[in-house]
Amino acid sequence: MNNQVRELRGEQGWSQADLAERLDVSRQTINAIETGKYDPSLPLAFKIASLFGRPIESIFDPGSST
Amino acid sequence: MRAVHKRYLREFIPAMSAYVLLVLLYGVLIRRTEAMPWRVVLAVLPLLPIVMVIRAIVRVIRDQDELERRIDLEAIAIAAMSTGFGYFSFGFLLNADIGLKFAAADVAIWVMPCLFGSFGVAKLLVARRYRSHE
Repeated sequence: MNNQVRELRGEQGWSQADLAERLDVSRQTINAIETGKYDPSLPLAFKIASLFGRPIESIFDPGSST
Repeated sequence: MRAVHKRYLREFIPAMSAYVLLVLLYGVLIRRTEAMPWRVVLAVLPLLPIVMVIRAIVRVIRDQDELERRIDLEAIAIAAMSTGFGYFSFGFLLNADIGLKFAAADVAIWVMPCLFGSFGVAKLLVARRYRSHE
């Protein structure tokens, strides 16, 4: 599953650690999501969408894989 | 270190320290204790702080984030199965009369180190799957 998490984080000027702290997850988890090695659960995906103020489908693309 | 892991260390270290102290106490007193009931008490007393160790481990698994939990659960599954079936096969080897001679107590005492050791190795391997060097 592709996602725009890295780009959106970059727009905010946040490090992976900053985003991890805001989402209450580890930096390892953010890194795994950004690189497509781990697909987040629905609750975490909604949390990410809410943090960036975007619809979930504009961040996560279930149609393609990395 | 995240708050959930700081809490884990705050709960795990005192409980495990109490366990080690009670094991040392067993080592010192068992040779001087003749009465059977007290020998049993000394042998099983270290299990008391283990209840707190189990609580600390369950709480950290439950409260850490979803990827950390997935890695730990996969590693625990690998460690439990490899230690359990490894010991089972070792039992067969001992029964096969191929010259292996170990005292039962010596074999039993290595169960926990094998479990923890295989968990550590399994965790390293499982975590690698989710790691990126980008």
